[in-house]
Amino acid sequence: MQQASDLRGGHPMLDFSSVLAAWPDFLGGLAMTAVLTLLSCTLGTLLGIACAWCRVYGSRVVRLAVASYVEFFRNTPFIVQIFFIYFGLPAIGLRMASLPAAIVALTINLGAYACEIVRAGIEATPRGQLEAAQCLGLGRWHTFTRVVLPPALSRVWPALTSQLVIIMLATAVCSLVSTAELSYVTNRIAAQTFRQFESYIVVTLLYLSLTIAFRRLLQWLGPRFVFGCAPIGGAR
Amino acid sequence: MHTSEESVPLVDIRGLHKRFGSVEVLKGVNLQVARSEVICIIGKSGSGKSTLLRCINGLESFNQGQITVGGQSVQTADPDSLRELRKKVGMIFQQFNLFPSMSAGENVMLAPRLVHRRSREECRGLAQRLLDRVGLGDKFDAAPHQLSGGQQQRVAIARALAMDPEVLLCDEMTSALDPELVGEVLQVIEQLARDGATLIIVTHEMAFARKVSDRVIFMHNGRVHEMGPPDEIFGAPRTPELRSFLSLPAEGG
Amino acid sequence: MISFTTWDVVRNLLLSLPWTLALSFIAFLGGGLVGLLLLVLRLARPRIFERPVAAYVQVFQGTPLLMQLFLVYFGLALAGVETSPMAAAVLCFTFYASAYLTETWRGCVESIPKGQWEASACLALTFTQQLRYVIFPQALRLSVPPTVGLVVQIIKNTSLASVVGFVELTRTGQMIANVTFQPFVVYGLVALFYFALCFPCSMLGSWLEKRMRLQH
Repeated sequence: MQQASDLRGGHPMLDFSSVLAAWPDFLGGLAMTAVLTLLSCTLGTLLGIACAWCRVYGSRVVRLAVASYVEFFRNTPFIVQIFFIYFGLPAIGLRMASLPAAIVALTINLGAYACEIVRAGIEATPRGQLEAAQCLGLGRWHTFTRVVLPPALSRVWPALTSQLVIIMLATAVCSLVSTAELSYVTNRIAAQTFRQFESYIVVTLLYLSLTIAFRRLLQWLGPRFVFGCAPIGGAR
Repeated sequence: MHTSEESVPLVDIRGLHKRFGSVEVLKGVNLQVARSEVICIIGKSGSGKSTLLRCINGLESFNQGQITVGGQSVQTADPDSLRELRKKVGMIFQQFNLFPSMSAGENVMLAPRLVHRRSREECRGLAQRLLDRVGLGDKFDAAPHQLSGGQQQRVAIARALAMDPEVLLCDEMTSALDPELVGEVLQVIEQLARDGATLIIVTHEMAFARKVSDRVIFMHNGRVHEMGPPDEIFGAPRTPELRSFLSLPAEGG
Repeated sequence: MISFTTWDVVRNLLLSLPWTLALSFIAFLGGGLVGLLLLVLRLARPRIFERPVAAYVQVFQGTPLLMQLFLVYFGLALAGVETSPMAAAVLCFTFYASAYLTETWRGCVESIPKGQWEASACLALTFTQQLRYVIFPQALRLSVPPTVGLVVQIIKNTSLASVVGFVELTRTGQMIANVTFQPFVVYGLVALFYFALCFPCSMLGSWLEKRMRLQH
């Protein structure tokens, strides 16, 4: 880490040229961030749904196990989780490259939060929906996947969207375990051009655009592919 | 009195008792419903009408007695048996209970596709025909929350009919509707009755009950208190409880 | 080679705990004050502060905390201010916390029925009086559970201060792991420490939320 005193009396004028010239590198980092986000968001949400199912319908032992997982990963910082996975696990023989480690860490982290979000949605299912499904002769699997889950997701879509955006921002922390996503690339550009402030301004604007675009994408995606006609925020 | 070819009732309830905790809600109900018969059950809140209906398709368990539908006995402890039963018995709820994630047509298509495992096109055709039948042919792709209460209830009727049930249970199907929307739902039910469906209807709509039913059951305190053809029940009630329920002055003496 | 016992590790981690707590506390206090100010500005009429404050919140909620830390650290240096890791961390976390706190508290105020505003206006109360006597007392009750949740978030996020060199729990853990070559034990213990701090707060938050729901 450069000392602040090295920069005192340095260049007071902001110069973006050398930073902007490195746009191919930014693009590469952006692509990696996108891959990390999409993979971990998909896997993490599926994990969260499975855990929510366990917490609502599972046996006592299963519920306790999932609750422990959820509480542990929601009450510890992500940076410590990923350090543990990338640096700590090899010590007991579980070695992973930085990209798989990042995906695993992000997925497990999201799974814990998504579990609670989806669980709230499931538990808000009106009794009448279950009775109607029973009266039509639907089995447990069909009742869960067609009748309970889609409206539950529509109910909690705003909260779930916010959590997915948080995961996208958490990908920046993966730079600390050498995953070559946007922050990692920016650190490199900053070190090479000696224009740290400018580099971080540019990448901050990039992240801002990314989160806005991601949110819009999720708003569009929900009704189209996830929960059908149900209005966002729940029916009625 | 000798009946026609069907001497075995479609729905046969004998000695039904049901308790909620320490409160006994059904105190020994006996009722036989023949095929193509339309029965209306009337009575005060708390008389056990809805509970009786919900026992017939296993939504409520019962403590004592026996219910047989189409020769199959209702075993509430056996989920597979209940699922078989529910292929024969359809239900219309007061709160419609349409599935919000699916369009009207998809709601109707769902059970035939998953339970009877028919093909998509076949189910789509069936759903369209049923929606036409309830007067909502153009609403196949409408989302439930975009429909009025009356329209939602009619979709619910189409959904229940898609399973081709032998008997249809209607649990206060117009109680949650605004007055001006009640008529459209009752019209659909009247047509079903004319088409020969077997219906057991719990309702507060007395004029409708008088018009459409073959027999009216008046329930009071968890028992069948009076039973008979509509003209008798509404025109010449025998017991003071029924007279009071129909807001008629008590008989002198 | 010196060997380290688990107790050595724990002891050193314990020494850094006060720094984590101090940073969390200052961030919450400072962030709370700034957040409250922003909230009042946002509610004030004419609504000229609505857009700027919304943008401020959007920036902090839409960018990684890691980048915010670097920006503050290098930004201060560029401005010629002598930056220590502590100063940069405190400044950045204060603003970060203020954005989240103001947004949460705004949600609480907005969930108070319009009728409360109307009734108090009809009694000829001034805006300040409305806030002080009618709106904020109600919003305060509603805000306790989510604010406790944000406290947990702040405590967890102080772990990132390690990247600008601030020596709190995570940075200490990194240093110990590098010296002892026992990352599994060290990071495991670091996680347990954070869990011990955060879990009781989370439980308190859920308990408060449950109690509040029952009272309605």
